[in-house]
Amino acid sequence: MTQAVLKMPEIPKRKTIKVNYPFIFLLLPGLVVFLLFTVYPIVKLLVMSFFDWQIGFGQKSVFVGLKNYLQVIKDPICRKAISNTLIYALVTVPSQIVIGLGVAVLIHSIKRFKITFRVLYYLPVITSWVIAALVFKYIFNNEGFLNYVLTDLLRLTENYIPWLDRPATGLFVAQLLGIWKGIGWNMVVFLAALQGVPPELYEAASIDGSGKIKQFFYITLPMIKNTILFALVMLSIGAFNVFTSIQLMTGGKPAHQTEVALTWMYYKAFEARDFGYAAALSYILAMIITLITIMLFKYFPKDHAQRIGKLT
Amino acid sequence: MRTAKRYKLLVYLLLLCGVVITSTPMLYLVSTSLRPNGSLYEYPPKLWPNRITLENYHYVLFKVDFYRSFLNSLFVALTTVVLSALIASSLAFCLARFDFPGKKLLFAAIMATMIIPGMTLIIPQFELAVTLRLVNKLGGLIPFYTAWVLPFSTFMIKGYIEGIPVDFDEAIYMDGGNAFTVYRTIILPLASPAIAAVSIFNFLTAWEEYPWALTVLNDLEKRTLPITISGFFGQHNFTLWGYVFAMSVISLLPVIICFLFFQKYFVSGLSSGGINH
Repeated sequence: MTQAVLKMPEIPKRKTIKVNYPFIFLLLPGLVVFLLFTVYPIVKLLVMSFFDWQIGFGQKSVFVGLKNYLQVIKDPICRKAISNTLIYALVTVPSQIVIGLGVAVLIHSIKRFKITFRVLYYLPVITSWVIAALVFKYIFNNEGFLNYVLTDLLRLTENYIPWLDRPATGLFVAQLLGIWKGIGWNMVVFLAALQGVPPELYEAASIDGSGKIKQFFYITLPMIKNTILFALVMLSIGAFNVFTSIQLMTGGKPAHQTEVALTWMYYKAFEARDFGYAAALSYILAMIITLITIMLFKYFPKDHAQRIGKLT
Repeated sequence: MRTAKRYKLLVYLLLLCGVVITSTPMLYLVSTSLRPNGSLYEYPPKLWPNRITLENYHYVLFKVDFYRSFLNSLFVALTTVVLSALIASSLAFCLARFDFPGKKLLFAAIMATMIIPGMTLIIPQFELAVTLRLVNKLGGLIPFYTAWVLPFSTFMIKGYIEGIPVDFDEAIYMDGGNAFTVYRTIILPLASPAIAAVSIFNFLTAWEEYPWALTVLNDLEKRTLPITISGFFGQHNFTLWGYVFAMSVISLLPVIICFLFFQKYFVSGLSSGGINH
């Protein structure tokens, strides 16, 4: 680069930019789409959250100040929904990372059928949420396959367990679905990270006589720290996005006890038509996840430069 | 030596067990779609049916308008892929190669929007769709899908473009080309692996998107696959699992075929996948 500049001193940097003003036409489509369909709604959402907002012609929205926010904070169902979301994140994020990393380590250590295993473990990731939710609903139904196995085949319980009709088990099934669907993604991400660990480190360690388990904790884990952080951030964001599985499997029932933040927001907006409330809840949610992301970046131990998003 | 062999066998066994557990739901999906509808809640339930029949597929393909939903989804997904590939790559090109006021702010804003759950914007986006008369129109989905996948696509493609030597651009400028020429002759061809990788994820996103399509589409003939499948399920509830799962298998086919063909891009593309819903 510097050499090239030295060879061509007659083209100063500023001039190249000036000459290439048509780049503005390349910038515009993306800029317009981003501003109109993403930035404008973000701003509009903030405005809505301070109003008793009405959608439709000829209806007047009334400014209500912080009333929507106070309602959200005081609402017991909303608290339940947010705590369900947090529990969902606390259960599914570590499970996905541990299992995904475990599978990645195993696949990394073998020579044959590597790609076959990778493809098979990845299949749930490309299965759509709608289909996955319906399959899980079918399996966990009262007369479904799992109850048959547990009750009639293994005789573990007297009666069929109404998995999806009870709050605790309904949420458990949703968490299970989340973990099942996420393992493959983690496997692929960690597999890529494991390939980046220099094999000499392991050779040196085994010459020093340390076993596989010790090597995993003292070499592998520190070397893939950044990938773990990356997965933590992406999966936490993903956990806050949980919607379709709950919506289709429990629908928030019974008595809104299995609602998560987004299903409750959706219900408030499009069933109860309380758009101001839903907007305030949306903002609170966005702030919580932003805060979590910042905290993860700040407090997660790291020693190497960020490598997130580099295509390898 | 002996223990090493035993260890290897253990690893394969563990992996196999994991595969059996993770693929059982998929297997159950396929097997249910292949059994006669009457025996869906037969006792005892079986993982694999005694009698295999294609009657569910026959019904879904020829008796109802399912094919229309399939074509709708295909249209929306492919248009989203092409549009977002063009828009994201040109935006990424500008961010990677040119200086302009507000560039840092723009990029920071694009990154920040990746954190916010897409669905939290559903209310103002719905109002926007009403204003722009994009509600209950199949094509109306496309600008919103494009906007959703834009940040991640731009971010990935920008990272890739930064790895392409600027000397190539400069050679074109020396020959009297402008930004368009560079974009067409250098950036598009050389950044194609990154564009392909994000395009696969964009296809998946549009193909399986549920909440937005559910909110803005009313007419039966405009529905996309996820809405038709879940709607069919809601309508008939328990009795017709066979039809629902036959539809599911058919809607999974393009994704799986695409995945097997572009497997290596899936791996290099890393992220997304389980995230943007």
